[in-house]
Amino acid sequence: MHCQTGSRGTYVPTSRTIAGDPLERIERLASENAVVIFSVSSCCMCHAIKRLFCGMGVNPTVYELDEDPRGKDMEKALMRLLGNSPAVPVVFIGGKLVGAMDRVMASHINGTLVPLLKQAGALWL
Amino acid sequence: MANHNIPYAVLHGMNVPTSFIHQEGSSFDFGELEEAIVLQGVKIRNDDEAKAPLFTTGRPAATLEMFPSWPMRFHQTPRGSSKSGGESTDSGSAVNTNSSKTENQLEPESPISTKKTTPLDQQQGMASDISRTGTSIAKLPQEKRRGSTSEKQLDAKTLRRLAQNREAARKSRLRKKAYVQQLESSRIKLTQLEQDLQRARSQGFFLGGCAAAVGNISTGAAIFDMEYSRWLEDDQRHMSELRTGLNAHLSDSDLRIIVDSYISHYDELFRLKVAAVKADVFHLLTGMWATPAERCFLWMGGFRPSELIKMLISQLDPLTEQQVMGIYSLQHSSQQAEEALTQGLEQLHQSLIDTVAGGPVIDGMQQMAVALGKLANLEGFVRQADNLRQQTLHQLSRILTVRQAARCFLMIGEYYGRLRALSSLWASRPRESMMGDDHSCQTTTDLQMVQPSQNHFSNF
Repeated sequence: MHCQTGSRGTYVPTSRTIAGDPLERIERLASENAVVIFSVSSCCMCHAIKRLFCGMGVNPTVYELDEDPRGKDMEKALMRLLGNSPAVPVVFIGGKLVGAMDRVMASHINGTLVPLLKQAGALWL
Repeated sequence: MANHNIPYAVLHGMNVPTSFIHQEGSSFDFGELEEAIVLQGVKIRNDDEAKAPLFTTGRPAATLEMFPSWPMRFHQTPRGSSKSGGESTDSGSAVNTNSSKTENQLEPESPISTKKTTPLDQQQGMASDISRTGTSIAKLPQEKRRGSTSEKQLDAKTLRRLAQNREAARKSRLRKKAYVQQLESSRIKLTQLEQDLQRARSQGFFLGGCAAAVGNISTGAAIFDMEYSRWLEDDQRHMSELRTGLNAHLSDSDLRIIVDSYISHYDELFRLKVAAVKADVFHLLTGMWATPAERCFLWMGGFRPSELIKMLISQLDPLTEQQVMGIYSLQHSSQQAEEALTQGLEQLHQSLIDTVAGGPVIDGMQQMAVALGKLANLEGFVRQADNLRQQTLHQLSRILTVRQAARCFLMIGEYYGRLRALSSLWASRPRESMMGDDHSCQTTTDLQMVQPSQNHFSNF
């Protein structure tokens, strides 16, 4: 985390804030890569979703919330976002929320996932 | 443990700690009574209240100290007054060599320990009975009356016999207690079973010899099985509607209604499975709700979508090129999704194995709690697998035309119907080993009689 001090010596936070809205952080992290997965290292469903993308030839950016100091707050924010538990796994493609495992699989089956990945630059034909 | 309800002291109107009273009120026990009578028959007649303080020491009604070799307590003092005529008082040694000395070694706590349920009169009656049989009765050392001729003496054999009787009585009491406890717990279990049954019945579950009453199957599983068999009946209805609709060459919009209702019929199954997953995930996972042949091809609690598509592909002709691509793409994506779920489940298995195996067990309960938490994740996988199955069926109906979809769903229904028929035939086949190959051909012929086209099975 970097921060810059202004000319008056006050603390001026940059985009990488320590204290900040967890949802904002989530959205920011999600926009930084084509495919972003929020996960928990011990979660088996998270492992399944990672395997799904890797199996498709996609290289997702994974954030393990149990290994992040602000992970707990982010999990809570994700739960509110999704409307239910569990908070993970959650997938963002091209900065936009796709959803949890059921939504991701449904979109893969109905054929909308691959175009979305191509559009985000995560997949090439 | 002595087991008498009415302490001697109470019988005689003395103050006693209430701990003496209401000890296990089981049946009356002659072994101890005989002994008590023997020891205190005289005491009763004499009714000496001078002993009162001794009997309120709060000591438990332990065994009467019948063993001559053991030194006695608090009774060594004034013996002289308690002896009947001819009995020596100077029995300092602990070993009883003649009957006259025995009484010195008798524990005055015997009145305490003999907490009989019988009334005083019965004791007196018994006492007189025993005295008639010639059993010697020892006089209590504190007996103040002198020269009483009614006391009898105990010899070593009698003492031992009485001790053995007491021991036998104690063991039989313990056995009885264990038996009663067993009965009690069985009664509770029975009540719970009846409640489960009542609950299942009120939710529309009919027994018909089902295993739920016997406890081999959980209530949630039993309910799902019942709902599933109803669903199968509905399936037959839908299939005949599809058949009729196709043969009658209905308009596309009319046929669409039938096709959509068949999709809703499957949606209903997946709704039932959502509830069943929560109630009993293992029932779904082990496939006990399905027939053996279906179970053989079970994947994560149901059919494997890519297998179903493979089965359908050859029969859906003619397809447009776009449709062909759509179907192959569907097969491919369902395969990828199945693979991902399978790998996730595999990781869960491994994690569970690690938890249950555990290494040095520091806290067994903690380990179990962790394992329980991991097991709960199984539900998520079966749910996702069902979700995949549902999405696959929906996508099929999107790719295909109405007529193609109607034929497709009819094929799916018939396929599973044949698998179920195969299971029945297999179960009822003659088991003679001599039949060998001839028999397997016979079975195939039976199937051919059931259904002309056999190519569904060639893929598997």
